[in-house]
Amino acid sequence: MSDSDMNLKQPILEVKDLKQHFPIESGLLLKKQVGAVRAVDGISFDLLPGETLGIVGESGCGKSTTVRAISQLYTPTSGSVILNGLDLINASKKETLEARKDMQMIFQDPYASLDPRMTVRTIIAEPLEIYKRRGMLDTQMSRNDIENRVEELMERVGLNRAFKNRYPHEFSGGQRQRIGIARALALNPKIILADEPVSALDVSIQSQILNLLHELQQELGLTYIFIAHDLAVIEYISTRVAVMYLGKIMELSRAADPYKNPLHPYTKALLSAAPIPDPVIERKRQRIILTGDVPSPNVERHGCYFYDRCPSRMAKCKENIPQMKRVDEHHEVACFLYE
Amino acid sequence: MLNKKTEKKPQATNQFNQAVAGNSLTRDAWRRLKKNKMAVISIFIVVIYILLAIAAPILPIYPYDEIVLDHQNLPPSFTQNAGTLLLEKRLADLYTQAWRSGSLEVSEAEEEMLWTWIDANETNKVWDYMLEKGEQMSADGSFTFSATDQRRIERLEEKLMSELKVSIKSLWYTDPISNEREKLSSLTTEQLIDLYLDLSGTDIDTLKDQYTREIEQQLLRGIKDQNPELPDAEYQQMLEREIERLSESRFDSLIKSNILTKITNQIVNDANSHLGQMATDESVLFPVKEEISLNDTISAEVEASRINERIYYLGTDYQGRDMLSRIIYGGQVSIAIGFVGTITSVLIGIILGALAGYLGGKVDYIIMRIVDIMYGLPYMLLVIIAMAIFGRNILNLFFALAIISWLTVSRMVRGQIMSLKNQEFIEAARSMGASTWRIIFKHLVPNSLSVIIVFSTLRIPAFIMTESFLSFLGLGVSAPFASWGSLVGDGVGSMALYPWKLFFPALAMTIFLFAMNFLGDGLRDAFDPQSKNQL
Repeated sequence: MSDSDMNLKQPILEVKDLKQHFPIESGLLLKKQVGAVRAVDGISFDLLPGETLGIVGESGCGKSTTVRAISQLYTPTSGSVILNGLDLINASKKETLEARKDMQMIFQDPYASLDPRMTVRTIIAEPLEIYKRRGMLDTQMSRNDIENRVEELMERVGLNRAFKNRYPHEFSGGQRQRIGIARALALNPKIILADEPVSALDVSIQSQILNLLHELQQELGLTYIFIAHDLAVIEYISTRVAVMYLGKIMELSRAADPYKNPLHPYTKALLSAAPIPDPVIERKRQRIILTGDVPSPNVERHGCYFYDRCPSRMAKCKENIPQMKRVDEHHEVACFLYE
Repeated sequence: MLNKKTEKKPQATNQFNQAVAGNSLTRDAWRRLKKNKMAVISIFIVVIYILLAIAAPILPIYPYDEIVLDHQNLPPSFTQNAGTLLLEKRLADLYTQAWRSGSLEVSEAEEEMLWTWIDANETNKVWDYMLEKGEQMSADGSFTFSATDQRRIERLEEKLMSELKVSIKSLWYTDPISNEREKLSSLTTEQLIDLYLDLSGTDIDTLKDQYTREIEQQLLRGIKDQNPELPDAEYQQMLEREIERLSESRFDSLIKSNILTKITNQIVNDANSHLGQMATDESVLFPVKEEISLNDTISAEVEASRINERIYYLGTDYQGRDMLSRIIYGGQVSIAIGFVGTITSVLIGIILGALAGYLGGKVDYIIMRIVDIMYGLPYMLLVIIAMAIFGRNILNLFFALAIISWLTVSRMVRGQIMSLKNQEFIEAARSMGASTWRIIFKHLVPNSLSVIIVFSTLRIPAFIMTESFLSFLGLGVSAPFASWGSLVGDGVGSMALYPWKLFFPALAMTIFLFAMNFLGDGLRDAFDPQSKNQL
C-alpha cells in the first residue's frame, strides 16, 4: 500500500486547465478570426502510474481532442500538460520529442491508422527508426536489434512473427489493431493514449484486444488514458472514469462509482441511455430523456455547460460555472447540487 | 533519404520454414495491369519506341541530317533503290514531254483523261500513266526516244552508277624518316601548315590570307545565326569584337580545323575521281574500303558507297534526307521532351503541392495563388515568350514547357495530400515524432504515387502534342534536328504531291500517343480497380 501511496503523490501526467480552441476564420482574401470552436474548454486531471483513466462522453464532447492535445498533435490554446515534470506546451521541440517517447497513441480505426504502403515490420519499426535517426534512443540499436525488437513486439501482441513482411490490408481488423498496439509499444512508453481502440471492432475481437491491453498493463506497468463511448468497456478496463460534456469534465471518480453512484445529472442521463441486457429490467427501467440538442461549442459560456439540458437546473447554474468539487476521497463532480 | 532501404529485406519464415512474403498494393496493381491486354501491348510498343530512340545512333540507317539534293522527295519503296526511282522519274518526265511535243501518240480517250488530270492539278497521275504507257510502247517498238533524249538517259544512268558517297574513316601522317604513322589531327598547327604548303604548292602568305578570310566568314556566319536581322555595319563590329576576344589557342585550333578541312576535301576529290572510274566500269563491288595517299606523307582510309543504291523505305523529304531516320531521330527528341518535361513538372509539382497541401495555412495560400496567377496567363503565350527570350533550342523548349506544366501536378498532389493528411496513419506518424519531410516523403507521397503515376503517363502524350504543336508553328525544334511535330509541319505543305512526308511521321506519333494513353488508362484501372467503367 505504501508503494501506491508513493505513486499517489507522484502523478506521471498532470493536465491543468487544458483548453483547445479551433479558430473559425472568415473573409475572402484576408482571413480574420471570427470565433472559436471550444473543443476542450479547461479540463484538469492527474494521472497516476499504473492506473487507467477512462474518458466517456457523447460524440463531439472533446474526448479525442483532449487526447490529441495531450500528445501535442494539436497545439493547445492554453493550460499545461506536465509529463514527468516537463510542461510539454512550453517545452522546446527537442524536449517535447524526448518526453513524448514515454507517451504513445493507439488509434480508433485500425484500417486508417496503418500506412497501406508499408509492411508490418516497417510500421512497427518506424518509431524506432525515427528516434534512432534523431539519436534519441536510450540504447543505440543496430538494424538487427530493431529486427529482433519488431519480432519480439509482434509475439507480445499475439501476431505471428512470420507475417512481418505482410501489408496491413492482408490482416483482419483485430490483427491490425494488434499491429497498432505493437507500434505504440515499440519505444517502451509509460503512458498509452488509446483513442477508442476497440470501437471499430466486433464484440468478440473487442474483448480480445481489451484483454491484451489489460495483460500488457500488468506486465509492463503501463498507464492508460482510454477513450470509449461504450460504458461497459470503460467499466471493465478503467480504474478511474472521467465523464466529459461539451469540452468539460463533469464527473471524475473511481471506475465503479459512476455506475453505482452517479452524481452529476449528465452522468445519470448518460447511464440511463445505455440499455441493460435483461429484458425484464430493461422494460421497467425509467429513462431520463434529455430535452434539446447538444449546444454549439462555438459560443463562450458563463454558466454551467450542461445548463440548457439539465433536468435539475437552478437559477445560479445560469450565471456561474461550477468548479470540480471533491465529494469523497475518489469522487469529484462539477455541479452546484453538491456544493 | 528515400532509397536508404536498398538493402535486401530480411526474410520472415513461419514454423515450417517457408518464407512469408507480403503482397504490396503496387504488386497487386502490377498483377491487374498484366491482365489488361491493351496495356501490355502498349508497354511493348512504348518500350520498342524508346529502344529505337536510344539506339538511333547505332542503327543501320542513313544519317538524319545528310542532305542529298538529287534525292529530293523520293517516294517510299522497299524494292527500288534511289537510282531506279530517279531514272523512272526522269523517264516519266521524258515520256510526258514526248507526248506534249507530239512524238508520243495516245488515243483520244487517253488524251481527254490526261487533260482532266492536269486540270484537276493531279500531275502525279499523269506522270505515272505516261511512264506505264511509254514503257509499254518502247517495249513493243512503237516509240523510241530522240537521240538527244537517249543521250540524256545514258548520261543519267552513268551518273547514277558513278556517283559515290565517300566518307573518311581516318587521316594518317607518315613520317618520311622514321616511317611512323600517327593521326593527322594530333600534329601541331605549324606542321599541318607545312604539310599543306607541300601538298598544294602555294606560298605561305596566300594560304594565310585564305584561311584568315575563311575563318572570318565562319565566325560571321555564327554571329548571324545568333542575331538575325541586323545592319551589316553592326555585324562587322561584332565580328571585330569577336576576333579580339579570341584567345591564341582558340584561333590556333580554328586554323588547324580549317587546314584539316582543306586536306579532307582534297582527299575526297581524289577518292571520287579514282573510285568513280571503278564505279562506272563496275570493276569493284561497292561499298568499298580503300586507303588513299595524297603524297608520301599523307594518307587516308576512306569508305565509299554508291549513293544511288540507297533504299529509302519511307521516302525522303524536300532536301533528300531519309524519312525513316528522321522519324527515328525525331522520335528521340519528341519522346525525350515527353519524359523530361513530365519528370521535371512532376518533381516540381510534387514538392510544391506536397508542401502546400501538408503545411496548409500561409504556405498553401501563397503557393496556390502563384499557381492561380500562372494558370491565368495563356499557356501557349508563355511558352512562345520564353522561347523568344531564351532562343530556340531544345533545352530551352524543355525549360519553357517545364516552368508551366507543374501547375496541374501541384494542384493534384495538393488535393491528394489534403485528403490523406487527416488520415489516422499520418497522425500516428506525427505522434511518433516524425519530421515534416519524413511524413511527406515516406507517407504522403508514396500513398498518392499511384495517382501521380497515372497522371504523368497521361501527361507524356500531352507534352508531345504541345511540342509538336510548337514545332508545327515553327517555334519548337529547328532544322537540322527533327521532331515528329516539325516533320508533320514540313509534310503538311506538300501533302497532295508527297503524302508520305505527312503520313509516316503522323503515323509514328499517333501509334505512340495511342500506346501512352492506353497505358495510362490501364495503370489507372490497375491502381484503382473500382474506377473501372464496367457493368
